[in-house]
Amino acid sequence: MKRSVMVTSLVVIAVVVAFSLFLATRNPVNPTATEADSPLLGQPAPPITGPRLGGGATINVASDLGHVVVVNFWASWCGPCQVEAPNLSTFAWQERHHNVDVVGVVFNDTVDAAKAFAAHYGSLYPSVVDDGGVIANRYGVTSPPTTFVINAKGVVAATLLGAVTTRQLEAVVARVQLEATS
Amino acid sequence: MIVTWLGRAALYVCFVGAVGGVIEQARALRAHRTSHVRWWALGALGGIAAAVGVMEFALVTHNFALAYVAENNATFTPLLYSITGLWSALEGSLMLWVLLQSAITFGVLLYYRRDRDSPVVGWAAIVLLCVGAFFTFLMMGPADPFIHNAAHVLQGAGPNALLQDNPLVAVHPPLLYLGFVGFSVPFAFAIAMLVTGRVHERWPLEQRRWTVLAWGSLSLGIVLGAWWSYQVLGWGGFWGWDPVENAALLPWLTATAYIHSVIVQDRRGLFRVWNLSLAIATFALTILGTFFTRSGVLVSVHAFSSSTLGPILIGFFFVVVVVGASLLAWRGDRLRAPVGVDHPLSREGLFVANNILFVGFAIVVLLGTVFPLLYQAINGTQVTVGTPYFATVAAPLSVLLLVLMAIAPLVSWRSADAKVLWARTRVSAWTAILSVVVLLVAGVRRPAEVIAVFLAVLAAGAALRTLRGSLVAALRRGSWRSVLRAPSTGGMIVHLGVVVLALGIVTSTTYVTRSEVTLATGQRTVVDGQLVSFDGFHNINDALKSATQLKVSVDGHQLRPAITTFNGRGGTTVGTPAIDSNLARDVYVTFDAVGGTGNTSGAQVQSGLPTGSVVLGVTVEPLLAWLWLGGIVIGLGSALSFFRRRYAEDVT
Amino acid sequence: MKVLRSFSLWCVVLVAVAALAVALRPSASSAANRIAHLETLVRCPSCDDLSVAVSNATSAIAVRHEIAQKVHAGESDDKILTSLEDVYGTSILLSPPTSGLGVLLWIVPLLGVLLLIASALRLARRR
Repeated sequence: MKRSVMVTSLVVIAVVVAFSLFLATRNPVNPTATEADSPLLGQPAPPITGPRLGGGATINVASDLGHVVVVNFWASWCGPCQVEAPNLSTFAWQERHHNVDVVGVVFNDTVDAAKAFAAHYGSLYPSVVDDGGVIANRYGVTSPPTTFVINAKGVVAATLLGAVTTRQLEAVVARVQLEATS
Repeated sequence: MIVTWLGRAALYVCFVGAVGGVIEQARALRAHRTSHVRWWALGALGGIAAAVGVMEFALVTHNFALAYVAENNATFTPLLYSITGLWSALEGSLMLWVLLQSAITFGVLLYYRRDRDSPVVGWAAIVLLCVGAFFTFLMMGPADPFIHNAAHVLQGAGPNALLQDNPLVAVHPPLLYLGFVGFSVPFAFAIAMLVTGRVHERWPLEQRRWTVLAWGSLSLGIVLGAWWSYQVLGWGGFWGWDPVENAALLPWLTATAYIHSVIVQDRRGLFRVWNLSLAIATFALTILGTFFTRSGVLVSVHAFSSSTLGPILIGFFFVVVVVGASLLAWRGDRLRAPVGVDHPLSREGLFVANNILFVGFAIVVLLGTVFPLLYQAINGTQVTVGTPYFATVAAPLSVLLLVLMAIAPLVSWRSADAKVLWARTRVSAWTAILSVVVLLVAGVRRPAEVIAVFLAVLAAGAALRTLRGSLVAALRRGSWRSVLRAPSTGGMIVHLGVVVLALGIVTSTTYVTRSEVTLATGQRTVVDGQLVSFDGFHNINDALKSATQLKVSVDGHQLRPAITTFNGRGGTTVGTPAIDSNLARDVYVTFDAVGGTGNTSGAQVQSGLPTGSVVLGVTVEPLLAWLWLGGIVIGLGSALSFFRRRYAEDVT
Repeated sequence: MKVLRSFSLWCVVLVAVAALAVALRPSASSAANRIAHLETLVRCPSCDDLSVAVSNATSAIAVRHEIAQKVHAGESDDKILTSLEDVYGTSILLSPPTSGLGVLLWIVPLLGVLLLIASALRLARRR
């Protein structure tokens, strides 16, 4: 073919135009947690009781509270937990008058390390010390950070694996509240 | 504030130097007069060198008036990691890039100063300076390294934990960038040849040398990167088909194709247009690679933080490809060689096969890397394209490439004579079968390993035979030393390095064993044939970091796997693996968990285990050290190839 | 040795040795091998691109246990992978699905290579 180089070049240009436009319009990845389809979904939330980290009144997240509870399993040695800690505090503070509570559960960690972590990140929500990993077992948590959203009826409505962002929590909680009223 | 203005001024000098050089060269071309472009290039080099000097000084003196220093350095950062802080984050890495680009531009113009009246050199200068100007422009706008830090901070965040616990951070990025930047030279000359229409002169052959320099640096850079991730990431592997890793592999693949097909152009004047396309494609792929690394569009453990650079870099990629392809469309058909390949199994024919395999491999890797983006755009769900896909595709391609390595060096140009080929391959062929029998008898029976050894012996045989031929010819000429600069010596040594590397890769991945052992203090056990004992804890607490080390001994050698928390940045905790390495096998030990309520700096606690016992991850990988050995041999071979005599000199 | 000069003899010996190698190769269908193979296909849920075979994260260990359980329970490879997909989403598999859009990933490289071969043949025919 006499003009094969020209034809090939024009085809290449067309492909590269499409390819470049495609790549130029991709949004940077925002690392967020993945929603998992855990067996607890739709089930009544297992009880969460235990001593409060840092002392004070025992925490007891009773099942039928009338408001949404975000339960976050974390540990001081877990990297993504460090990333999400400020987000959880921001969210907890934001929602403190909107009937949404945030409760942390210490996962597989020493009390001292957990206290240091909470102090360092200025945790604005209470955390439960999980002696013997009983609560973690009930919730089937194998790796932090794992976050559960319990709706106003005390049923587990969402499970998130990985570090959460504030916006993600807002979206999930809004959805859970909507589903609970329908 | 002074630091900020000094640094920015230096960057402006660099930019002015590059743009001024382009204008000067353009005028010189129009007026047919001698160009003084290389002094402008020197000015640009001076500018970026000064900027680098300012930044390094700020890093070494921990000057937190610069936001970049506050984010990547701390008062307790050791000198080495302060210096490497220059390229530990996005803005600084661009400075390293421009420094190398300006140095290479000036170097090339100096090298060709006697040809500075040639329009080819002139146009190449324009292209090189434009590339430098583009990257400098990035730093004058969206990626400013000299942003002033208004807050009066007493302490910086320190570098990323994984960038300060291994000295390889000092060599991997510079070598890698030298490779990427080096490919701008063949690209610039390809554009120049197309614009001026002068493809028939000596310029294509000159490019082989610069391409070998860039290719050698890139190969070393990639191997060192693999070695570095192996030593720090904790999973015992060295390559994850991660988007940023693939980004470095893509130009390497097309560059390897180019190095081979340029040999054919050297000997027989074929493939002129194809070689120009490969030169353009290789450089375009390095730009695409920087896009993947710096745009944040693909998830990667190696990526720099996402930024607004994405669309700008894609824009530059687009310009590079469109300019190159348009020039090819305009000139290409007139530049083609009148002759063709005589026989598909002649040396030329096998080089064609080589190019098909390498370019095909590049297409597949590119597709696999961007596929998750395509899938999400069309289907809305996330997919991952990981090792299983790439390995499945890479395996048959590697087998075919090894076959080519075993045959092509022994085949003649222009014709294919089976008898002659058999006569030259006989010894290796029988040795290969013998090796396989020995393996089978010794119990090594996994098909991947058997095939790899068989092909490796054949490929090594071809390389050794060719080397022997060159040595004999050199001795006949009176000096054995002249074999070092013989045309095929460097290449054959690179082939030998590749064979060693390939054997290392196949053996370590086929016969890897991973186990977790729980040991109490003073206890020892045998894991996969290795005697492992745990002798207690050792805590380190200094200005830079706090670490809990485990005193482990493997086969009598002391290792210290640890969990390390680096001060700064809220205290990032990373696992520090320990490796016992010899030519036969690597034993890779990680500190996975500690028992009881042990107070450690960040290790996972398993309350089911008694206090004072630990869980160790032990991975045994045979022949893993062959990868690094192969890499060194490849580097040596490239160096020899850089200095090799031209084919024409050899014949006369 | 003159007999070693014969290419046909070498071919015969090669075929014989290859047959021997095939006969001696370790069996691929034992439970341990199936588990090991499946582990390389599943991504560790809390990592970016490591498979559960190589990662030591707790989530990876949990998935490894799940796979081992299911293999011993007699489930087929496909069923195990699909059930993991249901729990963790499509991105948990390291190799995209071969049906639907994923087919592209296998077809395009094939087409690309065929295209390259075709152009090379055209090049060869121009004498």
